[in-house]
Amino acid sequence: MAKFRTWLPWLLLVAAALVLPAILPPFRLNLLGRFLSLGIVALGIDLIWGFTGMLSLGQGIFFALGGYAIGMHLQLLSLAPGELPEFFGLYGVKQLPAFWQPFQSFVFTGLCIWVLPALVAGVLGYLVFRNRIKGVYFSILTQAALLVFFNFFNGQQKLINGTNGLKTDTARIFGELVGSDAMQRNLFWLTVVLVMAAWLLCRWLTRGRFGDALIAIRDDEPRLRFTGYNPTAYKTLVFAIAGAMAGVSGALYTVQSGIVSPQYMAVPFSIEMVIWVAVGGRGTLIGAVLGAVLINYAKSLVSEQLPETWLFIQGGLFLLVVTALPDGLVGWWRQGGPRHIQAMVGWPPLAPTYPGLDLDPAAQAERQAFSSDVPPGGAP
Amino acid sequence: MTASTAAPLVAPLLELRGVSVSFDGFWALNDLNLSLAPGELRAVIGPNGAGKTTFLDVITGKVRPTKGDVVFRGRSLLGIAEHRIARLGIGRKFQTPRIYQNLSPRRNLELAVKGSHSPFKLLFGSLDSRQRQRVQELLALVGLETHAARRAGSLSHGQMQWLEIAMLLAQDPYVLLVDEPVAGLSEEETERTGALLRSLAGDHTVLVIEHDMDFIRELDCPVTVLHEGHVLCEGTMETVQSDPRVIEVYLGVEDDV
Repeated sequence: MAKFRTWLPWLLLVAAALVLPAILPPFRLNLLGRFLSLGIVALGIDLIWGFTGMLSLGQGIFFALGGYAIGMHLQLLSLAPGELPEFFGLYGVKQLPAFWQPFQSFVFTGLCIWVLPALVAGVLGYLVFRNRIKGVYFSILTQAALLVFFNFFNGQQKLINGTNGLKTDTARIFGELVGSDAMQRNLFWLTVVLVMAAWLLCRWLTRGRFGDALIAIRDDEPRLRFTGYNPTAYKTLVFAIAGAMAGVSGALYTVQSGIVSPQYMAVPFSIEMVIWVAVGGRGTLIGAVLGAVLINYAKSLVSEQLPETWLFIQGGLFLLVVTALPDGLVGWWRQGGPRHIQAMVGWPPLAPTYPGLDLDPAAQAERQAFSSDVPPGGAP
Repeated sequence: MTASTAAPLVAPLLELRGVSVSFDGFWALNDLNLSLAPGELRAVIGPNGAGKTTFLDVITGKVRPTKGDVVFRGRSLLGIAEHRIARLGIGRKFQTPRIYQNLSPRRNLELAVKGSHSPFKLLFGSLDSRQRQRVQELLALVGLETHAARRAGSLSHGQMQWLEIAMLLAQDPYVLLVDEPVAGLSEEETERTGALLRSLAGDHTVLVIEHDMDFIRELDCPVTVLHEGHVLCEGTMETVQSDPRVIEVYLGVEDDV
């Protein structure tokens, strides 16, 4: 039975992944795939914020780097020899810039998607953590870094098409258009697999003593340092891992959205990522994925009907979580939130009994002494 | 026993040589000289602002002295990062209990237990049987066996103090620097803490900073009095108490002395 209960969620997930493509229209399925891929960047944020206590407002950097890696590869993929991606013609570029060359290789691109963001995050993180910058200063610094990258990418027309970004849906993989329904279905499945893999990775990282060390850094970093740990190593490592996850997330999001542009490094987008995690539940892992999917799905549904109202709803949701549900939806659920609601509507759940107490002779004696004061059945 | 009789002959384990610390012109420590013999139990007292905590900060590497040197087992500690000093064998207990409240006492100790502290070791390795046994012993020593799986934040104040002492012991340091171990403890807990610290001396060098004079008397060990960042006098509790300078700066204001 216990075994069945551990496997049940996985079975349901696999079943859903197989059934959804058949019942959802391609447009909705594509949306779900995109939002699931955002779950991966959210998992990374949960790892560094929920567990390690570092609030990064710059995950968009790593997200976009992953997106650009796959975007450049797809731009080059379906070109005839000697041809250049179309946009280069607009700016009079005659020769492929040198840093584009390796992206012709799928293997290089596949590595670049996660290794490059991990390296950038690792170097950035090391410099910041070594100087013991933390808390709100760390958040401001990551946001400043995000702006630097955003402005740089926006200005590089001749290198990466600047503000316009790189389109991916007209490229072909194995002769199939990236934007086609069949390819999008495959990408949906790939996303499901990678979200599960990312979740398992995070769970493995946070379960054992390594996870305890992360929590110790969040709760009392100096104490850990005086115990003989070097927090810089842990923080750098975990920030690099979150960067790698953001890169994978960005690549999956790019191929399912059909474009990568500097907008992925816009300040509000990176803040939204943090909101998903806060709403879903910090430090709960599954909450990060749920938060990303639910909020984005709600956003797209609301925006279809009442485009103007979404920002207010999102702001309200964030306020609600900060004030009433500090552990997010999943944290609220795990702490017996539904029972409170049940009790509020006048249908309280049965309280558990304490068999240990019932069998304790001291407790029995006390009860006898107490009940002798009260006539049987006399208690209200 | 051998440590106390041979103390003058044995090279000091930890020595502060003319240490001065200036915070923007304010001298928190002023030409402080102090040496600890291996296995010694030492109490440090002093009025508020005497530099007791800064003194621990200097030893553990949190504050770099403006002048002077800190020598541990024949090696200067200046410029060495805190976590490396901790690994060399200097453990520190903070004034208020500093434990990881969201972890269980067992997991607190498993983080502190002596061994490699590199991220890769923690990810791919696991505790060996000796380390696990040590954790179990320490849980028993501080009476937390039955609470081993609870959230440490839900322990009582006294249990937290003891858990932190256990974490310190788990590191298996040469020197234990203990800052106000009995603050907020009941009388019985204070007594047990005193007995524990006395039993640790010999195998370890223990330095206790405390305000509680009765507790210091109970420890029955050499006392160093700090005042305005330097050592005012050293000696047994009786000698120190009768020293007119001490009475003037510190003990004179205490009613019970």
